[in-house]
Amino acid sequence: MPIKDILLDWRLHGSVLVITVIAEAIGVIAVPIGIGSILLLPLLYAFVLGLLINPNVISGARALIRDREVHAASPLIVIAIMPFIAKFGTIIGPSMEQIIAAGPALILQELGNLGTIVLAFPVAVLVLRMGRESIGACFSVAREPNIAIIADKYGLKSQEGAGVMGVYVIGTLFGTFIFAILASILATTGAFSVEALAMACGIGSGSMMAACSGALVHAVPDMEEQILALAGASNVLTYATGLYLCVFVALPLTEKLYDLLGRKEPTNAGA
Amino acid sequence: MSDIRTDDIDLTEEPKLGLGAHAAALAVVCVIALVGNTVATEHTVPQGLVGLIILWVMCMVGMALTKFVPFKLPSVAWISLVGILATMPWTPGSAWILDKVSHVNFLTLATPCLAYAGIAIAKREIEIAKTSGWKIAVVAVLVMTGTYVGSAMVAQAFL
Repeated sequence: MPIKDILLDWRLHGSVLVITVIAEAIGVIAVPIGIGSILLLPLLYAFVLGLLINPNVISGARALIRDREVHAASPLIVIAIMPFIAKFGTIIGPSMEQIIAAGPALILQELGNLGTIVLAFPVAVLVLRMGRESIGACFSVAREPNIAIIADKYGLKSQEGAGVMGVYVIGTLFGTFIFAILASILATTGAFSVEALAMACGIGSGSMMAACSGALVHAVPDMEEQILALAGASNVLTYATGLYLCVFVALPLTEKLYDLLGRKEPTNAGA
Repeated sequence: MSDIRTDDIDLTEEPKLGLGAHAAALAVVCVIALVGNTVATEHTVPQGLVGLIILWVMCMVGMALTKFVPFKLPSVAWISLVGILATMPWTPGSAWILDKVSHVNFLTLATPCLAYAGIAIAKREIEIAKTSGWKIAVVAVLVMTGTYVGSAMVAQAFL
């Protein structure tokens, strides 16, 4: 597709402009639930509104958004997150001293990303009785770099490839909601310190970090600067280290666990 | 329709844009963000405009670094590095930069991105979500919960 078509696609940019105005005009809504409250953020409405005018979701939307707009939107996701990432950098810079003070916790919490293996892998293998797709599904949070690892090692046609693609797609569709809900519930219950929850928001995806840290800031507005600085620093760290953690620790570990727990022999002893 | 081949989802199929095209696309996004910022906050249009121009410059420097520095880091990593270095307390002029970008709301900047993301969802992705079935959806929720709670627990232990 010619570059000009992407830049001058007024249907696309016009729709995004209208969606942005509507989403920002609605603003943040807090929904109280038993153990805390869920915060609905403008960026979540923007995603839903985008889906509602997506012809692949609502076929009636084809009058406004055609396949070429859908295709042109995809490279713009990465470009549109860039100013947000730059702004995040300007929040991290002035807080450098705090971040250095939190250094050990910040670096070590990267290992916490292995929590997916602890929580998701046993359920996938032992409860849901999934096969080798559980390796691809559970070794990481399944963003683009993780797909590349699986594609490189097994190919995306393999069972492992199906696993990583499945989680990738669910994450793309619901990830921002899931992280916003997790962050707002955990922040309002007080089980963790806000600093720890902020660091955990850095998962290596700009939009998920935005939803996660945005929900935290609205739950604890007094700590806005600390939350954003720690979340942003953790996210940069994940960009830098996530790939290595996956290649050298997470994936070998998941494979070992599959050898132990997976359905190789026809016995049901594993359950 | 039912023939779903996951390898069809080629993450690199997006057209490769040059720096000039990136600059223009980024400007379009910044205009949308400026409108959003004006709706969402009390900041005026000129205030938001100056802030966004500075952020635009940071993004461009970051993209230039991605292109010309020999070791590979994603462009978002370079861009955040540029933002960090420009606003460290001992960087000359950092106070001025901070004052200008303070008129741009961070969360509003993510709103247009998610709108593009919603529009970009392709038929194949919806089909994968449907055919992967409820099992992979359950696993995906656990994957994200495990990553988040795991990181928070380790951070909590070492703070």
